[in-house]
This record gives sequence, structure tokens and C-alpha cells, in this order.
Amino acid sequence: MILLQVIAAGLLLGAVYALFSSGLALIWGMMNFINFAHGEFVMAGMYVAFLAVVWLKAGPAGFTLAAACGLFILGVVIYFALIREVLRGPMLAQILSTFGLALFLRYAAFFIFSPNFVTLPQTALTGTVDLDGIYLSVPQLVAGAVALILTLALHLLLSRTQLGSRLLAVAEDREAAMLMGIRPDRMQALAWGLSAASAGIAGALIALSFPFSPEVGGSFVIIAFVVVALGGFGSVPGAMIAGLIIGLIESLSAYWFGPVYKDVVVYGLFVALLWLRPQGLLGTQ
Amino acid sequence: MRWRPFALAAALLVYPLLFRGAFYQDMGALVLIQATSASAWNIVGGYAGQVSVGHAVFFGAGAYLPVLFYELWQLPLFVGVPAGIAVSLAFAFIIGLPTFRLRGHYFSMATIAVAELVRLIVSNSGFLGGAIGLMGPARPRGWWDLVFRSAVPYYYIFLAVLGLVLLATWQMERSRFGYYLRAIRADERAAKSLGVPVSRYKLYAFMLSAAFTAAAGSLYIIKTGFIDPESGFGILVSVQMIIIAALGGAGTLLGPLLGAILLVPLQTATNTWFGGGATGLTYIFYGGIIMLIARFEPGGLIELWRLRIAPLLLRRRGDAHAP
Amino acid sequence: MEKKSCFLCVTLLALALAAPAHAAKTVKIGLLYPLSGNAAAAGKSAVQAIEVGADIVNNAHPELKGIPLAATAGLPRLGGAKIVLDVADHQGNPSIGQSQTLRLITQDKVVALLGAYQSNVAFAATAVSERYGIPFVVGDSVAANITGRGFKWVFRTTPIASDFGRNYMEFLGDMKKAGRKADTIAIVNENTDYGTSVAQSLIEQAKKAGIKVVAQIPYNANSTDVTAQVLQLKAKNPDVVIFVSYTSDAILYMKTMKNLDYMPSMIIGDDSGFSDPSFIPAVGPIAQGVMNRSAWAIGKPGSNTYKINAMFKKKTGRDLDDTSGRSMEAFLVLADAINRAGSTAPKKIRAALRATDLKPSQLMMGYHGVKFDKTGQNILAATYLVQLQGKEYKAVWPSKSAVAKLEWPMKGWKK
Repeated sequence: MILLQVIAAGLLLGAVYALFSSGLALIWGMMNFINFAHGEFVMAGMYVAFLAVVWLKAGPAGFTLAAACGLFILGVVIYFALIREVLRGPMLAQILSTFGLALFLRYAAFFIFSPNFVTLPQTALTGTVDLDGIYLSVPQLVAGAVALILTLALHLLLSRTQLGSRLLAVAEDREAAMLMGIRPDRMQALAWGLSAASAGIAGALIALSFPFSPEVGGSFVIIAFVVVALGGFGSVPGAMIAGLIIGLIESLSAYWFGPVYKDVVVYGLFVALLWLRPQGLLGTQ
Repeated sequence: MRWRPFALAAALLVYPLLFRGAFYQDMGALVLIQATSASAWNIVGGYAGQVSVGHAVFFGAGAYLPVLFYELWQLPLFVGVPAGIAVSLAFAFIIGLPTFRLRGHYFSMATIAVAELVRLIVSNSGFLGGAIGLMGPARPRGWWDLVFRSAVPYYYIFLAVLGLVLLATWQMERSRFGYYLRAIRADERAAKSLGVPVSRYKLYAFMLSAAFTAAAGSLYIIKTGFIDPESGFGILVSVQMIIIAALGGAGTLLGPLLGAILLVPLQTATNTWFGGGATGLTYIFYGGIIMLIARFEPGGLIELWRLRIAPLLLRRRGDAHAP
Repeated sequence: MEKKSCFLCVTLLALALAAPAHAAKTVKIGLLYPLSGNAAAAGKSAVQAIEVGADIVNNAHPELKGIPLAATAGLPRLGGAKIVLDVADHQGNPSIGQSQTLRLITQDKVVALLGAYQSNVAFAATAVSERYGIPFVVGDSVAANITGRGFKWVFRTTPIASDFGRNYMEFLGDMKKAGRKADTIAIVNENTDYGTSVAQSLIEQAKKAGIKVVAQIPYNANSTDVTAQVLQLKAKNPDVVIFVSYTSDAILYMKTMKNLDYMPSMIIGDDSGFSDPSFIPAVGPIAQGVMNRSAWAIGKPGSNTYKINAMFKKKTGRDLDDTSGRSMEAFLVLADAINRAGSTAPKKIRAALRATDLKPSQLMMGYHGVKFDKTGQNILAATYLVQLQGKEYKAVWPSKSAVAKLEWPMKGWKK
């Protein structure tokens, strides 16, 4: 019974991991680019949600939407102001640019919102569901379910719509896509917007039950790396399954070996994976 | 053109004599540590183009081993320095062998993961001081503990080590080793097809770089006398090396030194100006600078000088000569 | 040419002579706190509390009876000199802590230092002040061996981990005497230097007191899910759980325990996260009866502590918390010593600190007094235990300082 509880908690958390990691996977797949500021996007989503609650008295649906829109715009702006140029530069510049961005965003939040912890006010989403001895909190349940649905939606958007095929066309072959009349710049900006929005929504969902401060982003970015590596770089469905797996592994290893070793297990797995199967557990060569 | 490195060397030699304030001398010593670690990183990250984001592993090993020897057997700190370097070499070998099959970002991510893993393991190992860290001799037992009130002795020891690292880099730059590394950076596949033993030379560069980074870590512990997992193995330690090298110019001999000379005092100054208010302005500023370099001048300041400022000056001089 | 340099000499000489006369009017104290990084909130709050302390010393506050230097403006034995605070940010980094200490001492010429919140920075920074012979008063860092390294210039006013570990065990002993079940405890601690060092002390003290530790669970403070840990507690079912936690994790534990319907007879939070200003607004209603250590209690209207809290609230909009209060007390002790020294010479300040003997009535915090042993540790440091009842913590133990009746077992979210 306890084991089931641990598994349930791990899967719910994993669903949220899957959502923000799929955003990172999208960027990676399209541009061969890793974004070290992805955790800060999650953090920014939390603060946008917070502002929506304070200013607009928004409910859970409202502030999640606000986080999505706010972060989409931020992602697009960052693409045009910084990333577009950096993509043409050496790899070192790519790594540096998002490090700088991460510091900048983190401390901009620090400047605006102070370093104090913030919790979202009690929303309509409270209480616990008792599934025959397995207790699930409603905010976490909602967060997990919404995250899973949105990750699926992102996958469907990429695989089933015309917009998606245009995005993938740019990822496959930039030049060819241009010849087909697709403007790669716009598509890449869109990808950045979607990526940031996925992180933002995940942030708003985590904020439902988690207190946050400007420093919170750092712990998410490495999780996203691990998930993306496991799922196969650039694969959104891979990230979805890998997110669930990582959530589960974290939860189980915290239970079996003690919480301190949960990160050791996850990072160890990451290193082993990169060495043994750099194409990802679920990826293909 | 050839006089410039000598002028720089001379300026570094006389700096503590010109700036007598203890704080400035101390900052000078910190600049040299950072320059040493960034120059060491530069060998593999700059010349060979393999962006390691896990060099903190070597820095931390270089810092922990001396203080561990002190903790266990009360040995003076400098006795443990060779052990720190040896452990780093071993780490570099173990990490390097499988990791160098990975290219580009994959390599960067693998190195981050290894460094984080090591940091977590150290934080949870009692005999390494756990999360609290280890302390060197609190009060000097004799000169051999190298505890000085003034930063000047540290400064000259550090300068000697930096000199050694730069000399080695300079030698490497002009040797076949250096050409190989640059070939690898330019195009790994092409280098391989031309018969460059890519994996072997990447490993050599990684090990050389690791040894020097460990030396910088040893300098840190000798001066600071205290180490904890975050300041030895933290991700910011690795990032700082990259930023300094990139600011000055990665893959150039003096770029990392220039980067350290600029960035360390700048960090201290911004901390002094903005630090008191708990506003985070220091890091907003710092993050902004990093983005600006990446966006506008990824070659660093040396490139900026060569490509933009020097031609401008030359043209002006040319104008003056024109009738 | 010669005339010019001679003129320069005279000017310099004049400046040199003028300097001490000027210095007598202000006394500069260096504050070394984390103002960026993950402890910035605590650092900022401590600095604000010390600023209130400086206001108390620098301006006349006759309403604060018994608090040294409150009634007068400035330091009377230094001709009414005012204290100036010089704040530096060490970013939670020991090396930056050292260089900022050096800057405060050699550039800004502070006469004494206060700091540093994180124990690792306190370790490193006190080594520098020791070399320069400048007193360093540690107000809030609790790792045991900050004092006791043979340093002559380090003083610490706050109780340390072994002190409050002993307090907790005494409390549990009292409970047992009163017939309540308090035989087994579990310790849940975050795994950086703070949590680790406190947990070590707790285990030692529990062993001495003959209380069984059924589980020790270290965890990472930035965890986003603590279900597994709570389930472990549920399985071990200790009578009392002691949490050594930072803010987000403390809040998360309370929420998760409610979700999993687990409540021990009593929870003791070790300050820090449980004292964070965001703790009560976030989980107050579901954490009724949680105990916490605090040497700070707001007290009844009209008391010194009530007035000091009002001053702090006017400045920041929130109540003073224990951590910031301990920093403020350290400042007041230091100011008192500088005044008694009658001089800004570091040696005299150190001698005055050594001779410090303050009574409880002269303090804002609930220590039994301030008196330093030869390592520099305050031997009269102590702490209250407080309990969350309604929207605030109320002192419930020891009984002589209690303002409210202890509720055992805790109610948590149950009515």
C-alpha cells in the first residue's frame, strides 16, 4: 500500500517534469541547442501566476493561462533578442548566452519580488482524494493530469498539424524548408515560445502546492537535462515517458535508499546513460 | 607586438608593490587563482573546443586532498598538493575515456552530471567533512603551514604557478599537440580522416587541463584554509572558469588571464557598490555582461581588440600619415 | 617644485591629524551577511534588524528600560559617538566572505564585525578577522566549532546546536514526567551544513537523555516532493518528530503530512524554515500546535520586546523573527562592549567583550544572560520553546517564561 502511494506521488511529479522537459526537448531537437535558463523559465511561470492572482484575482485556470501567455511572449522576445544571433556563433557562445540569461532572469526576479518565499493563496483546489488508502492531494492530482494532457497536446501539435510539420521541416533541413516557403526564423521563434510556455505552465502547476523563491529554478534545469537525455534528445514523446520514469525513480529511490540518495541515483543514471546510450533510452541512432 | 606579454608580466610582478592596500593585494591573489583555473580550462575548453562544464571536479580534488591530509595526519597543506593533482589525473582519465566519444553539447552535459554527482557524494561523506566542509590549520604551527597575514607571499606563489601554466600552454600552442587540438576544434571528423589520433589527444588535453585545475584548487585551499562541497565542486566554480576564459578569449594564450584581470575586480566592485542592498543587482549586471559577450563578441576581448579596435586605431594612424 | 611637495606634506599631515578627531564621532561596524544567493531573505532581514538596533543605540529611546545604551543617544563613553553600519554581501561563499571581511577591515576600517548567517562563511571569515585582530561577534551561526578553535577574537552570543539539543531533551523529559508519551523521536534534517550539524548534536543529546532516535532522515532542501519521507515517518511512528528544515521544505512537509493524514503527537521545528515569515501564512491553519525553538518572544504590550517588535514592524511590515532577533542582540552586546571600552581600539573592545556580563533584564532575547567563556561562546545562551496557537507562536516552555498553555498532542488540521 505504501509502495503504491510512493508510485502515485512519483508519477504525478513525473508528469510535471515531462511537461517542462518536453519544452527543452523541442528546442534541442530543432536547433541542437541546450537552454541552461530553462529552470528560470519555470520560476518565471510561477511569478507570472503569482502576479495574475494578486492583480487579476485569477483562479487556477486563469493563472495557468497567464503563465502560458506570459512565458510564450518571453520566449519569443528572447529568441529574437539573443538566441537568433547566438545560434550562428560557436558552441561556447551558445552555452554562455543561456548561463547569462539564467543569472539575469533569476536576479531580475530577486530584484522585483525580493528573495522571500511566496505561496499562492489558497485556491478552490484543496483537499485530498482517498483512493482506498492512497491519498492524493487535489492540487497535485490536477497538476499531474493537466501536465500530462498538455504534453500530449504538444506532441499532437508537432506530429499531426500543418504547423507542426512546418516546425519539423525547419528542424530537418533549414535550407530545404526555406525553399518550400517556410520562414525558419518564425518557426524557431515559435518553438522558443512553445518551449518557454511549457516551462511556464509547469511552473504555475508546481506553484499550486509548492512555495517558491527566485532561486527555485536551479533544481529544475538538471532534472530537465536528465529527462531529455533519457527520452532521446529532441523527442517530445520520449521526454514524456522519461519524465514519468524519472519522477518514479526519484520517488522510489527516496523511499528505498533515503532522500539524500535520490539525486545521486538520478545523476548516476544520467551519466551511465550518456556513456552507454547517448542516443537516449528511447531514442534511435 | 612582442613586447606586450612582457609588459603584462612586469605589471603583474610589481602590482603588489604599487598597490599596498591589503585588500588590493588579496584581490590580486584571487585574480591569479581564477586566471590559473581559467587558463587550465582553456587547454581543453578553448584550444580543443571541448566545453567542459565539470572542471569543478578537478578544482575540488585539488582543494580537498591537502586539507584531507591535514585532517587525517596533521600534514601541512602543501604536502597534499601532489596527491590532489594525482587524483585529478585519475578522474580525468576515468571521465575522459568514455566521455570523449560524446560530441559537443553531450560532452558538456556529461561533465555537468559527473561534477554534480561528485558534489553530492562528497556532501554525504562524513570523512570528507560532509556538507559542512573541512578546515585547514586554524592557527599556523610554523612557516610550513603557509598561513600569512599579508596576501603578498600568496600572490607571488600563485604568480609562479600561473607562469608555469602559461608557459606549458605556450609550448603546447607551438607544438604538434597544439595543432592537433586546433584541428579537432575546427572539425573533428576532418581531423580524424587526416590521421589525427583524436581521442588520444583529447584525453591528453583533458588530463593536462585537469592537473593544472587541481593546482588552482590547491592554491585556493592554501589561501582560504576552508573548503566545502559548494565552493569546491559547485557548478558555479566550473561556470566561473568558462566565463573568465570566454570573456578574455577562449583558445588564446593570454585570454583567460585578461578575463580574470577584468572580471574579478569587476565582481568585487559591483558587490561593493550594489551588495549592501540585497537587491541582486550584482548578478543582474553580471548576467547581462555574459549575454552581451555571447551575443556580440563570442571571441572575447582579445578578438574584439584584434578585429574591431586595433584596425580602427591603425586606420586612424594611417589617416594621420596621409597628406 | 619643492614648495608644492611641501604644501602636499602639510595637507597630508593636517588630514592625518584631523582623522582621529573625526573618527570619534562615528564608530563603524562591519556587517557580513548573505544578500544574494539562497539565504538572501534571512540575510536581508538580519541587516534590517541590526539597523533597528543601531537606531536604538544612536537615538534616545528611554521607553526601552534596562536595554543598555537605549536611553541615551549614541555611545556616552565615546562622547556620544554614533554607530555607522557598513554592510557587505558575502553571497554565501566562504572565499567572498574572506575578501569582504578584508575589505571591511583594511579599506573601510571597521572596528568590529558581525555576521555571518551561514556557518561555512563564519568559519572562513573569522580566520581573517583573527589574523587582523578585529573582534568578530557571531550572532546567528550555530555550527559547533566556530568557537573553540583557539581564536581570540571570536565571540558568539547565540545558543548553538548542543544548547538547543539539550533544551529539546529537557523538554521531552518534562513531558515524560507529566505522563505524556515522549519516548521515541525521529529527526528529519536538510542535508547542508545547517541541518547536518544540528542533527548530529540532536542525536548526541538524545543519547545522553536516554531518548530513542528511531529514524534520522536527511533530505535535500529543494525537493519538490516529500511523500516518501512522510511515509517513512508514518511507518516508524515516533512520538515526536524534530524537523531541521529550510522554508520551502518545511511548508511542503506540513502540506504533505496533511495529505497523507499523518500526525505524530508532537512536531518540533528547529527555527529556520518554521520561523520564516511565509511559514504561518502558508500552512498556519494546518500546523496548529507545531512547536519551534525561539529565543525571541514578542511579549505583552508595554514590554521592551513588544516595543522593539513595533519598531521592526514599522520598518519592514512584518514581525521580528528569532534569527534576525539573535543578530540584533549580538549587535546590542557589541555596542555595549564598545561603549564600555570607551575606545575604538580593537584590543580594548575585545577586553570589554570578555568582561561582558549582561543580565536577562538587559536583553531582548530570552537568554539567561550574556557571558563569554574563554573560547568566546556565550555560556548563558538558551532558548524558549514556542508553540503555534492560532496565528502566532506563543512561549510555552520553560514554564517560568510561558505565556500560554502547552497543547499536547498537537491538533494540526483537526478541529
